[in-house]
Amino acid sequence: MKRELMNQADKIVLEVLYRSFRVLYRKDSRVRREIDSWAEDLTLKLVCGPKGTALAVRHDEKHGIVKLRRAQKADITMRFKSVEGAFQVLSGQKSVADAYAEHLFFLEGDIFQTMSFVRCVEYLEGYLFPEFMSRRILKELPGRQVPALQVYALALLENGN
Amino acid sequence: MTSYFEFTNPTKLCSGKGAADNLEYELEILGVRRPMVLSDRVLEKIGTLKIVLNALREIQTGRIFTDIPRDSSVEVVNRIAKEYREFDCDGLVAVGGGSVLDTAKGVRLLISQGADDLLELMGCECLPKGTHVPFAALPTTAGTGSEATPVAVIKNPALHIKMEYISQHLMPDVAVLDPRMTLTLPPRITASTGMDTLCHAIEAYSCMQKNPVSDAYAAAAVTLVRDNLVKAVRHGRSKETRMALANASYLAGAAFGNSMVGVVHAVGHALGGVCHIPHGDAMNILLPVGMIFNRKVCRGAYGELLLYLAGPEVYQATKPENRADQAIREVIKLRRKLHELTGLPQTLKEAGADPALFPQVAETALNDGACIVNPREVTFEAVIKILEKCYE
Repeated sequence: MKRELMNQADKIVLEVLYRSFRVLYRKDSRVRREIDSWAEDLTLKLVCGPKGTALAVRHDEKHGIVKLRRAQKADITMRFKSVEGAFQVLSGQKSVADAYAEHLFFLEGDIFQTMSFVRCVEYLEGYLFPEFMSRRILKELPGRQVPALQVYALALLENGN
Repeated sequence: MTSYFEFTNPTKLCSGKGAADNLEYELEILGVRRPMVLSDRVLEKIGTLKIVLNALREIQTGRIFTDIPRDSSVEVVNRIAKEYREFDCDGLVAVGGGSVLDTAKGVRLLISQGADDLLELMGCECLPKGTHVPFAALPTTAGTGSEATPVAVIKNPALHIKMEYISQHLMPDVAVLDPRMTLTLPPRITASTGMDTLCHAIEAYSCMQKNPVSDAYAAAAVTLVRDNLVKAVRHGRSKETRMALANASYLAGAAFGNSMVGVVHAVGHALGGVCHIPHGDAMNILLPVGMIFNRKVCRGAYGELLLYLAGPEVYQATKPENRADQAIREVIKLRRKLHELTGLPQTLKEAGADPALFPQVAETALNDGACIVNPREVTFEAVIKILEKCYE
């Protein structure tokens, strides 16, 4: 039951993550620069544990990323070993760096290209979590180029497809 | 330190005088009858490879491949794997430095996974075991520690980067440390590879994945380097000091193979890929500046390291609040000594790096996996500052 709840929470956060990514592609020059550096049509997948929820996206010139309905195999896949591990990261208890250091996920694909994605997630965490949480999990606060509330508001209005 | 850690070190260690003479037995118990032997031209020429081939005695080699360049590439690995299959080999014996050992790891990955192209297998801890390919590693430098790590660094010439492969299935079945393998190393290379060992140990002791087990390995490695590196540079024919450094390299490898390395290696890999600076030289140049960069968050770890870097008297005589700074000074002191003895470059200028390439080096370094476990956030601006400080 607890696991199912975590899975549902992971699903909601992944949706917020996706929409915020698209918003920040327009509003944050650092995120835009990172995503623009990705290979054309690069596909990424985040899998939250065995039988857990997943988000698959493709690099898109116009929106930064677009959601993929079915991605059997992506160029880069970050696969959490457990739903619990994914929840710790998506709920702001641990950073991606902590999760990597604690072997909470494994990676299929090019480590080199993944680092850019990791930086984007860290920029995103700087917006999504209150400062006291970001300060606790991130090595350094990445700073914000627009108010966090604006990102939340635009993410609500963002097309989730 | 993280709230959870993993530590793996399944490799059997055969270390000491005459260790290579046990290779035949070790291969037999691994079921190897036609090994492929990987090495390089220099080791073939100076007779180091012959020591190993003689030690094989009754075991017939399936193929001996010595055309491995200093920085092995994806193409080389793919080609060797093809030959492994063509010559019907059933195991790998790698005799060489980091490039040869990492090449063997790449070949093992391809054979065990039934793949033809290493680029298909990129990733970190993602591969299943696959077919078991017996693998013995005989390092001929005391620096990379590759015989004890789950990491292979292979060059991708198309992208000018060194790619990292991380999997516990890369670890050799047996590592053979024999002083005969490193006796002929010139002083300059002894110094450079020794500083690589020190760098592995210091970064392992201070990066995010540090843990009590890797700390023990790293501390032991630092002590061995402290007591033996300068001696080995001065008296290269001493088997005792050569053995001590080989053990240090193995210990540091086991440490960083589990707790990983940080900004010094991230920038060092990039300097290797972009400016072609030899890895050990880059480590020697970058280490103190990398420590200064991380000092803000590593003061405690560096302070503890002073005990191993300088010994108990210096540690005790140094006030706790000054120990981290003293540890950095000890590294600089060792580096200066090695420069006096061998001319090992202390700056990027001496190493021939072109400052115009620093932005490219910084971009490359940021995408190195080592940045993620560095205890301080590594930014483009920070890497540029490190490079500028190291230039002269």
